[in-house]
Amino acid sequence: MQKIEVSGIKKAYRRKKVLKGVSFSAQAGSCIGILGSNGSGKSTLLSVLAGVRRADGGSFLCDGTDLLRRPGVIPKVLGYVPQGDPLMEELDAWDNLRMWYDKKTLQNSLAGGALRLLGVGEFLKTPVHRMSGGMKKRLSIGCAVVSNPGILLLDEPSAALDPVCKENIRAYLEVYKKEGGILLMVTHDAQDLELCDECYILKDGVLHPYQYDGDFHRLAGILRTED
Amino acid sequence: MAKAAAYFLAQLKRALKFAPAQLAADLLICAGAGILAYLLVAQGVFLHGGVRYRIGMVGNLSDSYLGFGISALQEMDDSRFMIELVEMSEEAAEEAFSRGELYAVMRVPDGLLESVVRGDNDCLITYTATDAQKGLGTMVMGEITDLASTLVTSSQSAIYAMQRVLVDQGRGDEVARETDKLNLVLINLVLSRSGFGEVELLGYADGLSMELYYFCNAVLLFLLLAGLLNCAFYARRHAALARFLKARGVGAFWQVLGEYLAYLCLVVMGLLALSLPLACVLERELIVIPEWEGMGVSPFWGFLRTLFPVAAMFGALQFFLYEAAEGIVNGILLQLFGGIGLGYLAGYFYPSAFFPERMRMIGNLLPSGAAARYVEEGLFGGASAGAVAAVAVWLAVFFVLAVMVRRGRIGRE
Repeated sequence: MQKIEVSGIKKAYRRKKVLKGVSFSAQAGSCIGILGSNGSGKSTLLSVLAGVRRADGGSFLCDGTDLLRRPGVIPKVLGYVPQGDPLMEELDAWDNLRMWYDKKTLQNSLAGGALRLLGVGEFLKTPVHRMSGGMKKRLSIGCAVVSNPGILLLDEPSAALDPVCKENIRAYLEVYKKEGGILLMVTHDAQDLELCDECYILKDGVLHPYQYDGDFHRLAGILRTED
Repeated sequence: MAKAAAYFLAQLKRALKFAPAQLAADLLICAGAGILAYLLVAQGVFLHGGVRYRIGMVGNLSDSYLGFGISALQEMDDSRFMIELVEMSEEAAEEAFSRGELYAVMRVPDGLLESVVRGDNDCLITYTATDAQKGLGTMVMGEITDLASTLVTSSQSAIYAMQRVLVDQGRGDEVARETDKLNLVLINLVLSRSGFGEVELLGYADGLSMELYYFCNAVLLFLLLAGLLNCAFYARRHAALARFLKARGVGAFWQVLGEYLAYLCLVVMGLLALSLPLACVLERELIVIPEWEGMGVSPFWGFLRTLFPVAAMFGALQFFLYEAAEGIVNGILLQLFGGIGLGYLAGYFYPSAFFPERMRMIGNLLPSGAAARYVEEGLFGGASAGAVAAVAVWLAVFFVLAVMVRRGRIGRE
């Protein structure tokens, strides 16, 4: 995967226009951070790109292929981790992973792939309802990335996690980026923003470039004025 | 498709984790219901006159005609097996009535007989009952008052005519004797009224005996409320998983299908677990179903087969209700009230034959009514195409509705 190009994405819920023409592009090995106040449409943007919700207009080009017109391709090239954990609470980590991948692929990943980097092997037989928030988030990301998709969409990956868990996840994401993956992340976390090469603020349905300078209070001030 | 199959298997695995607790709950309910059924049916409380309506007779009962009438009802009439007439004072009757020891109080006013002899109708027997609803008890009382009217009033015309003829013919000394004779003839006719015609009892539901009717409906009610026992299956479900599935190419239809099939396995397991103790009870004849008497348990297995399509339809209903509810608590309440409402209207608690015609029609159109009709027809050699279609249509409706709700949930803001 070399490049993605998102242009003119539109989405409305009945009469409420949430996205009014979102455009940006990203190169392989880069991370895009999307910020915005609550209800600004960040999660909607990610879900549209992931094929969960249908866009009202626009295109999502991935090496020349418009994924919005060919939704069947999306699961092959893109991993999506929604807000909350997309896991079956009664099953253990292995059973949750087995839903998506065959045994061999999982064993390879546990031996030296994404699952090893995420440390999923440590709690493979633990039922999800007994896992900590950090374990659940690592497993959720694991479910999305075992097949090494070129694009990874993350919706608030660090929400409600302790610093150690955040660090674990961030370490994996750095590796993912280094290996040429394209990361698109919705976040409110200062540590996550340090990982981003470009940041945007989603305001009034369009993206505005934002240069994060490490001053989180200034960012909070900007977002507050939008509420 | 492969991912959808994998999702179904994962859901099945999930369902199997709930199975032991669910089966234990099934057996507990079965044991409770079994004990209740045994007490009510096997002990023959309703069937062999165990319950009698006690009616207090109040007022001036000293007249020999009245005394004779009451003792005739108590000693000779068929109604003696169901009705016990007790002479008592007004105060004692009121007290017993307020304590619930009497089903009704009959007040015989002073001068009733004199009024009748005069040919007046200004004195009336008043009857006060606890039941406001038109039911079996009031029907029986209706018959008794009819009987009394016939005995006391209509006969007077004949007696007066006979007395006048005798007097006109100069046979006044024979009036008393002939009047007694006529009264005896009349009483004899009234007491032997059941011999005038043959009464064929069709039962309350297309020819089912009371035992089979309640047996069928108890099992149907169990299936209708199975969503309560299986609520754990619907707990801890997050919209995030639905969205993740959609992103991986498993849309709302396949999600619902996978979950529904897994849930159905859970329901069927519950039904099979319930069927074993039921079969034992029937085999040991702890509960006797008249239609199945002497046939062993084989009719029960046939009955069980007819329940699978119903279980599938009720499963779809339960799935839809949990899908439509926001949160597990709302889902449980919806199952409870929805199930009880649907069950009541379809006659699961009380024979629908007693309902008004319009209510019965609505009950038949409901999913619970369609299920009852399907099972009843199945008991008589096979369900009609209409009954099968009704069950299939309801199943499809609930499934489609569940898919629509899921689709909305995935796309919700």
